[in-house]
Amino acid sequence: MKNFFDVKNVTFSSSSDHKLIDVTFNIKNPGDIISILGPSGVGKTTILRTIAGLEKIYKGEIWLNNSLISSKDFFIEPEKRGIALSFQDNSLFPHLNVYQNLIIGEKRKSKIKRKIKLEECIELFQLESLLKKFPHEISAGEAQRASLVRSLLSNPSLLLLDEPFSNVDIGLKEKLQVNLKNLLKENKISTIIVTHNYEEAFYFGGKCCLFSKNKLIQFDNPYNIYHFPASQDVANFFNKGAFLNAKVISDNELEHNILGVIKGKFVRKFKKGDIVKLLVQPEDLIHSDKSNLKFKIIDKRFLGTNFIYFLKVSAKEILPVLVHSHHIHQHTINEYFGVKTPIIIKHLVCF
Amino acid sequence: MFAKKHKSFNFIDRSVYVFSLIISLLIIAPIFGVILGNISVDNEYFKFFSQTELVRYTKNSLFILISVLFITFFLGTFSAYLVSFYEFPFVNFFKYSLLLSFAIPPYIFGYTLSGFFENYGTFYSILNYFLDEKIINSILPNLGPFLGSIISLSLTLFGYVFILTRSSFLNQSKNLIEVGKNLGFTTFDIFFKIILPSARPAIFIGLSLVGMETLADFGTVSFFGLSTFTTGIYNSWFIFDDLKTANVLSFLLLFFILTLFVLESFFRKNMKFHNSTSSLKRKNEKINLKGTKRILAFLFCFTIFFISFLFPLFQMLFWSFTFPNSFDFLEIISINFNSMKLIFFASTVIIFLSFFVNFGTRVLKSNVLSFFSNLSIAGYAIPGIVISVAIITFFSLIDNLLHLSIKSYFIGSLAGLIFGYVIRFYSISFNTIKTVYLKINKTIDDSALLLGFDKLKILKKIHFPLLKSHFVFAFILISIEIIKELPITLILRPFNFETFSTKAFNMASNDLIEAAAVPSLFIILWSSLLIILSIKFFLIDKK
Amino acid sequence: MFKVFLFLFIFVNSATANEINLFTSRHYESDARLFKKFTDQTGIKINIISGKSKILEKRIFEEGNNSKADILFLADAGALYSAQNKNLFSKIKSEFIKKKVPISLRNDFWVGITKRSRILYYNPNFLSKKEIEDISYEDLSDKKWLNSIAVRQSNNIYNQSLVASMLEHNGVNNTKKWLEGLVNNFARSPQGNDRAQILMVASGEAKLAIANSYYYALMLSGKKGIEQKKAAEKVIPIFPNQLNRGAHINISGAGIIKFSKNKKKAEKFLEFLLTNDSQSEFCSNSFEYPVIDDKGVDKPEYNLSSNFKEDTSIDVSIYGKRQAEAFKLMKKAGWN
Repeated sequence: MKNFFDVKNVTFSSSSDHKLIDVTFNIKNPGDIISILGPSGVGKTTILRTIAGLEKIYKGEIWLNNSLISSKDFFIEPEKRGIALSFQDNSLFPHLNVYQNLIIGEKRKSKIKRKIKLEECIELFQLESLLKKFPHEISAGEAQRASLVRSLLSNPSLLLLDEPFSNVDIGLKEKLQVNLKNLLKENKISTIIVTHNYEEAFYFGGKCCLFSKNKLIQFDNPYNIYHFPASQDVANFFNKGAFLNAKVISDNELEHNILGVIKGKFVRKFKKGDIVKLLVQPEDLIHSDKSNLKFKIIDKRFLGTNFIYFLKVSAKEILPVLVHSHHIHQHTINEYFGVKTPIIIKHLVCF
Repeated sequence: MFAKKHKSFNFIDRSVYVFSLIISLLIIAPIFGVILGNISVDNEYFKFFSQTELVRYTKNSLFILISVLFITFFLGTFSAYLVSFYEFPFVNFFKYSLLLSFAIPPYIFGYTLSGFFENYGTFYSILNYFLDEKIINSILPNLGPFLGSIISLSLTLFGYVFILTRSSFLNQSKNLIEVGKNLGFTTFDIFFKIILPSARPAIFIGLSLVGMETLADFGTVSFFGLSTFTTGIYNSWFIFDDLKTANVLSFLLLFFILTLFVLESFFRKNMKFHNSTSSLKRKNEKINLKGTKRILAFLFCFTIFFISFLFPLFQMLFWSFTFPNSFDFLEIISINFNSMKLIFFASTVIIFLSFFVNFGTRVLKSNVLSFFSNLSIAGYAIPGIVISVAIITFFSLIDNLLHLSIKSYFIGSLAGLIFGYVIRFYSISFNTIKTVYLKINKTIDDSALLLGFDKLKILKKIHFPLLKSHFVFAFILISIEIIKELPITLILRPFNFETFSTKAFNMASNDLIEAAAVPSLFIILWSSLLIILSIKFFLIDKK
Repeated sequence: MFKVFLFLFIFVNSATANEINLFTSRHYESDARLFKKFTDQTGIKINIISGKSKILEKRIFEEGNNSKADILFLADAGALYSAQNKNLFSKIKSEFIKKKVPISLRNDFWVGITKRSRILYYNPNFLSKKEIEDISYEDLSDKKWLNSIAVRQSNNIYNQSLVASMLEHNGVNNTKKWLEGLVNNFARSPQGNDRAQILMVASGEAKLAIANSYYYALMLSGKKGIEQKKAAEKVIPIFPNQLNRGAHINISGAGIIKFSKNKKKAEKFLEFLLTNDSQSEFCSNSFEYPVIDDKGVDKPEYNLSSNFKEDTSIDVSIYGKRQAEAFKLMKKAGWN
């Protein structure tokens, strides 16, 4: 069976220098949500603009609902695609008030029969007090909410969201994220959401595209992306773990010159004697005050429920270790900190 | 694979493209086609001209240009500085009244100046109550061609520098004077080291507009009998019957002025950056001037206002009353009606065309279109007399080439006259609309497309309502120019069709400047009204 | 709404049948009043378009067969010559016209309608009548007039016509020398109009002014105000070359356009302009001289016509023929 939406070997480029080469991903079933993740400036917005038909492509094909919508030789006008895009910056029509902005796209005829109620959206995204205001009278976050609702109400067959909550206050953000996800799921709206925040991406996306340096580096579900990164670049993107140089000594053991033997299951096969880079994430090591393997704390970060301690293993290697904040006693910088031995890491992610 | 070619343009797109291109080309064609198509330097007059006169005419033009730029710079920036940063008597009045200088066409200022200061003129009549004839004749200033032209042009054009500099001051985020004082600068240093540089792009735009008007001016310099580039064009045609040389000179002038255009748009772009950094506007606390400075500031502004507006106004009023002539009431009514008709038709056409082409350039992102549309604003830089002749020649050429007979509909008709105005004043409307368009985020268009709007619906439902109020502004600007316009009206108008400027010109060309007072007064009245309207709608300080 | 516009356009462009179209480079309001009389007498409406001579000429030339112009009325013989050269005129057949206007003031294609002279002015407070009585244009290059002559600029067509007549009478070399002497005698760098030159003499800033005859009459008429009238009264006009060929004269004249469909009516109109009544109007409104025998013509006393000998020895169309040549020589002599 064919996918609902397909991007096949497309090279995305906008007028600026952004360029993403040979990208392939898809939305399997109608109503699925996928997310697009990547550092700023990588060209995430260009992907959405291209899918929407605001940019053209010169390589590859884009298919929606079993019909071709973009290729080198073929192009469907944006206004005829039935794709909605909610822009990151304020795109409300300045001469209309918020209410008029919301309903302006409502009339669009759509093949998909679906009833998203205006009143419901206004309530879910807390727009009641804004309806009579004009775009220049509201904040950037409020404008984003309104523009999101406008896109929803236009009954798209595919909804594209570009950093929908980037200007919304943190407190409100989590609530709105929940409301949005529920709404999308209830109404089975196929959605692509662009974000640079992996938590948001993981929350929404059944699958995630991760982009870096002109390429799609992994397209998978969030668990796999986080735990089984396909490359060092993927691991680097989350910027939580550290890499240690180690030597493969058996089919389930590594040896590090200071930490000693590390046990676990290799995600990828290596030969005995290979020197590899092992990804160590903060939750991989376990703290033990009794352990003899002690390292100096050079930094410490409070994350609410947890602390992360940064341990100096060698001149070039610093390891993060996660400890619950209710742990009996706290350690201070320059103290020595014990790591439980033997070290067992469930999945050995090596490159 | 698909056999179909890339469908980059659908039907609506293609129509918008074709119409925008046709409009732009129609506006360019008479100027470039006729002038460039009929150039030759192998003529008797051109040889004579390049041997003897070219250098002198160029020198005169440059001398006038530099002097006018210098004076308008001084008057414009200093008055803008005073009214923007200081509190003194009538400062709120001067803020707007200095703009009334736009109501006086340079040639009418010239009539005033010469009528006032000539031997046995108005000034003489006034002094005659107190002094002996011989003494008066010895103290009457002798306004030569240079002085007369420079004063007339400077005092009617400095408004460009004033208004642009002032709006630049208003957009500044901090009170520059306070900053300067904190840094320990003297008032003098603050003006030259902080305030002037901060408004530099605006000042340059103002000065380049002044420069273009000065170079394209014919009425004033010919009234004072100064030989400049424009009078060179005129001489080669009128005395030597040599249109080809006239075209060569027109082209040189056009080239020179286009350079100014490029400079202007360059600075305009820079100004955008300049302004975008100051998102937080704060109302400047004005500094209350004390003692002598208070009086000097008042006197400075009052003197400019007096000379640039009241002086010509009073002179015209004086003449109207001392030389009551046979201006009959019915004729005045009919001329007013003519003026309204012209303003209404021409402005509507100009605004519609420039809006459409701007729209096309924006939504189609075509380089070809944007090149031609940018070229089509060149008409502003060309003396009206050259445009008129180009139009006449253009229609006759079209008729000959296509075996038509449309020229009788365009030469000596309202349609032809409006076509002339379109070529000449297209840039005013085009640039006004373009400036607003640049401020409208492109994602607005994209959102509309994605909500299912086609391009024409965007034009109707989104762009038109957004730009509406600026159309009114463009309308007012064009109207002021049309009321003052002389050469095109004179040449292309229908039979028995008078405007106030042709009427004033008729009188003045028979050396009856006094009788030109009534039509001149109406020009001033109309323009002032329109300026006051524009102030009311657009230029009041926003809080 | 659009239909209303369309209607207005058509309405404005519509034309009634009994009319003739006049292209004129004369801007006198009084001309229009005179033409109105013709309409009252004959029922033929006169439609006017006014503008500079070359532009009118260019317009008719480009319009060609489609031209609406019936008559071209120009304020200088040189301009008439230029239009004739462009082959714009048809021949005038009227016997009335041929009888009324002397041959030096007309040709087959156009006819003089009014006449003016380019003469000198002096102020008796600064110059005695004896010094100036028998003066000629040629004398103006004499060193005795050093720093004392006021005249307007060389781009003025009246000056060009005057110099063209000098070329015709005295030849190129003499005229060249004459121009150098004349320019050397200028009281100031040329500027202002003819009236400004007369005012220079009134105020004593120059001893002699060169200006057209009607400017002086205009000032005397009081139309320029009491001060100007008083100033003019201080000044005495003097007609040069009275002992030989006579004073330089020039004409305003008109011709019938080749493409005209109303040639009969146009001729009738020209005849009307040459009647005693019409000629009187020109004399008292624009202060020009009649081209017809002035016995039956009423003139204000300051009009000064018929009191002097005029130069009829050359055809006025010479001014057109030698205009460019004259201008070049003037420029070369330093006349700005």
